[in-house]
Amino acid sequence: MMKQFLTNFFAAVGDKTISVFTAAKTLLLVTLNIFRGIFHFKNREKGEILKQAYEIGNRSFLFVSVTLSALGMVLVFQVCLQINKITGDQSQVGPEFIKGMIHAFVPILTAMMLATRVGAGIAAEIGSMKVTEQLDALRMSGVDPIDYLIVPRFIASIFMTFILGIYAALLVILAGAFMAHHSFGVNYNVFFVFDKVTWGDLIIGSTKLLAHGSAIPVVSGYCGLTTKVGSEGVGVATTRAVINSSLAVIILDFIISAIGLMTIQ
Amino acid sequence: MLQLNDITLKLDENLILDRISLNIQPGSIWGIIGPPASGKSVLVKTICGFFKPQKGNILFNGTDICKIPETKLLEIRKQIGMLFQNNALFDFMNVWENVAFPLRRSNPDIDPELLREKAWKRLKKVGLAGSEDKLCSELSGGMQKRVGIARATINKAPLNIYDEPTAGLDPVTTSKIYDLLLEIKRQNSSTVLAISSDVEGLRNFVDNIIVLHEGKIRYSGPEKGLETSTDPVVHQFVRGEEEGPL
Amino acid sequence: MISSFFASIGEKFLVLSNILGGITYLFYQITVALIPPKFDLDEFWRNLYKMGVKSVPIIILTAFFTGGIMVIQASVFVKKFGATSLVGWGAGYSVFREVGPILLGLMFSGRVGSNNTAELATMVVTEQIDGLKALAIDPFRYLIVPRVLAMIIMLFLLTIIGTVVAIFGAALFGKFIAGVSYAGFWTSFSQNLHLADLIHGLIKAAIFGFIVSLNSCYFGISVKGGAVGVGKAVNNSVVASALGIVIFDYILTYNIT
Repeated sequence: MMKQFLTNFFAAVGDKTISVFTAAKTLLLVTLNIFRGIFHFKNREKGEILKQAYEIGNRSFLFVSVTLSALGMVLVFQVCLQINKITGDQSQVGPEFIKGMIHAFVPILTAMMLATRVGAGIAAEIGSMKVTEQLDALRMSGVDPIDYLIVPRFIASIFMTFILGIYAALLVILAGAFMAHHSFGVNYNVFFVFDKVTWGDLIIGSTKLLAHGSAIPVVSGYCGLTTKVGSEGVGVATTRAVINSSLAVIILDFIISAIGLMTIQ
Repeated sequence: MLQLNDITLKLDENLILDRISLNIQPGSIWGIIGPPASGKSVLVKTICGFFKPQKGNILFNGTDICKIPETKLLEIRKQIGMLFQNNALFDFMNVWENVAFPLRRSNPDIDPELLREKAWKRLKKVGLAGSEDKLCSELSGGMQKRVGIARATINKAPLNIYDEPTAGLDPVTTSKIYDLLLEIKRQNSSTVLAISSDVEGLRNFVDNIIVLHEGKIRYSGPEKGLETSTDPVVHQFVRGEEEGPL
Repeated sequence: MISSFFASIGEKFLVLSNILGGITYLFYQITVALIPPKFDLDEFWRNLYKMGVKSVPIIILTAFFTGGIMVIQASVFVKKFGATSLVGWGAGYSVFREVGPILLGLMFSGRVGSNNTAELATMVVTEQIDGLKALAIDPFRYLIVPRVLAMIIMLFLLTIIGTVVAIFGAALFGKFIAGVSYAGFWTSFSQNLHLADLIHGLIKAAIFGFIVSLNSCYFGISVKGGAVGVGKAVNNSVVASALGIVIFDYILTYNIT
């Protein structure tokens, strides 16, 4: 009984390890091919990057606006509530909030939202092309799907995540100021103090945005390319894209935060 | 032209192709028939290099396509015009852009006007004049097949592979499609490999035929020899009898 | 130009109304199916296992790193003011009330909600739901209600596990990255935080579970088109769930303080 259980247990662990390693190997290969594909200018359609950037922006502008401004207001609300309980000195809320948003909250929250919106979109699109054999049809015309489909999305995602991140930061700060003023009577000129923001904060925030923006298309593109044929396939690939790119964002964010704290902050 | 030697392919431990050997001469027309899940589609996809067989080799004009890297394979594939089972039309392009795509990819510097003209001509040839600017999803099943055929043949590739060119079509459209394929074959003087479940229609179209069953070749040779084959599987499948090994 | 602009706004508005109406109607149908509470218990247990137990690893992983990120955020102050006594409280407060429920809710939506949409949508496109109806089985009592209940219960329980793990993660990383001792972390944590903070987060978790379950079931059963449609349905469902989570977080923060 015990022996049987142990055998099964180790077999399961071994199985899992092997599948994790195979997945890691494929993911690494896809990543390498994407980096190589950046320089294959001839394989790309003209204007494709712009088109994808528009797609990403168009798909996520409203979504990011609504979610991030709501989150900004909630975070300010919680901070002010807590400060009211302890000191009641609201003068530091604005500057500290602005600083925290730039180096911590805006990058991770924007990226989590984009992992959901953009990541799922990329996986659904490429997964659909896989099950309808359009990827094979591309290859029959001598086109590498990574060069043709994923590289433009990769470049566009890096740009757009960065731009949407800056937009989100501004929006969050405005929404936060509005909330602080409205519910706690904090003056706008007390709130909008940018002295606390250092170069370190800006560098950490930007690095995070760039890292997240590149991780999302790589992970979700990989999930799309490895879609299994069948009516469940695309749905499963989309699911995997959301969860894996969100997880990638969280872990990358943690690593960059830790390095940032130990070096430039 | 195309030579398969002892191809054995396993996918997830399942034996899909079992020691397949074939020799296809330039200019000939080959048909592949067999019951469902006998490995027909996998066989043609292996010829295109989408699956790597565990054993054996495939010589395409002297190049072993099992041994070359993906970048070289992409170049080889431009010499094969393929119609996929479900057409695999690009849903992010309209009809004429779909047809023009392989041509544009093999001649990156082609003049856009010429490209358009050639694609339109090809569409007219398959009887789709007037649908050039439509989206593929707006077309009926038979029309989509024709777009697929136009796309597979625009490059005048030396080898054409048609996976189920007549599946799901009515008898009148079916015979029209076979006539069209024959005409294209004569014009491009290409070699043709066609899979079909419609045994009767295919037999009128091809010179040579292969019967696949569970990944093995049960018959391979001239179409006329099919009747006299002694293999019980071939016998039953070709006659459509209920009693037998199938 | 102008008319097409307004037409596109109107069209979007119609789509949105359609979705909201559909979700409300689904809510109504579920309520009806719950009076009297007769639903498939086997399916309920199966879903509790599949949605809950199977999500534990991803929730632990998310929570652990979330705790780490929060403690780093709080440690910025430690470096500046030497305020070690703030770290446990700062990290714990944000994990309990906001970041914990939201991030775990988003991960739950990605893992369980989208899986559920994919499953239901596949059943619709392969006509399995019609098959159930043909066997005189009520798809609501058999499929939808057990899933909705399982998701609410499981996100609630997973948030408890996640919160504990996140606090452990925060304490661990606090020690190694910010140099805050475990004792210092614990004092700061236990003296400043109250049960009310935890309950605040757990109420949110239960409601987020309900939002995710409604969204994922709605987009699953209203799928159109084959395999491609399934992918689109999953995409729409996770986006709607994320929107729902954030908007309700805003409403709830105001109303349960």
